[in-house]
Amino acid sequence: MARLGRIRHKSEEDTELNMVPIMNMFMVLIPFLLMSASFYQIKAINTSVPVHADTHAGNLSNNEKEKITVVLELKEKEIRISGLSETPNDLFLSELKMVISRQPDSEASMDELVNFLKALKSRYPASDTLILIPDEEVLYREIIQTMDSARNYETETLFPNIVLSGSLG
Amino acid sequence: MALGKSKKRSQKFVPPKLMLTSMMDMFTIILIFLLFSFSENPEDLKLDKDLELPTSTAEGEYQETIKIVLSQKELRLNDEVMAAVQGRQIAGLTNDNLESSPLFQGLKTFRIESEKSENGQEPPTHVLLLCDRSHSFQTINRVIKTAGLAGYPNFQFAVLEE
Repeated sequence: MARLGRIRHKSEEDTELNMVPIMNMFMVLIPFLLMSASFYQIKAINTSVPVHADTHAGNLSNNEKEKITVVLELKEKEIRISGLSETPNDLFLSELKMVISRQPDSEASMDELVNFLKALKSRYPASDTLILIPDEEVLYREIIQTMDSARNYETETLFPNIVLSGSLG
Repeated sequence: MALGKSKKRSQKFVPPKLMLTSMMDMFTIILIFLLFSFSENPEDLKLDKDLELPTSTAEGEYQETIKIVLSQKELRLNDEVMAAVQGRQIAGLTNDNLESSPLFQGLKTFRIESEKSENGQEPPTHVLLLCDRSHSFQTINRVIKTAGLAGYPNFQFAVLEE
């Protein structure tokens, strides 16, 4: 019985895993992964500059005629919004005008902008283009912030096609 | 007495066992974290110390294309320095001389080379712009205009995920 106990004890000892090779493998893998790891995620915003193109309003369908192009002038102390349309209508275009006072890095002005853009999008759902005209003094991060606000709100897509343009004059 | 001593000696010579389990746990966690943050091409977009990208909610992926870097100190086209940047001024790049600037010439060369090599396929018309968050639109606009004039009207603005 005592011998049987010894045998059992020995077999229990044999089941212990030898972790050293696994540890060695980890020691090789971790520096390799540390070297090739990136601790920041780079994403991209698609945009374009205005290019000359020939358009034929006569070929547009009814839905396309409902499209508007939002023009957003990003100034140092205000945001001016206006609209362009293939079917000019003074009353209709005057409704699109809006001026929002702006403080740099202010959330309130961006919220107001988003609310106005949401209202425009719900009225003209086929519209997807926004022309962003920043002032020369406006910083790049503020342009990106405005683009983010104009592109989407939570899961709702607003104006995903953003054209960046310099102001005239 | 002698028996007791040998018992004590035999207890002393038990080889010490390392407690590797907790170390294994730690390594496993580190390994999983690193595998998740593994990037296929980390070398392609290495950010300099003088380049701080803005953060954004954008989720689009960037594509491999011509890369323009506008950092706080210099303007580069695919790792080749085109001009020095001092504050808002880019040396040799003013609104009057966009088409004679080194950036325009460099982009034009890329354009001609890509048109030759693509063999009937449409060459890429977009540029990946990595711009420091503190630059004003006045500075960026010159780069954008130059790229537009050289035949690259579409841009991808590189941003950091929020």
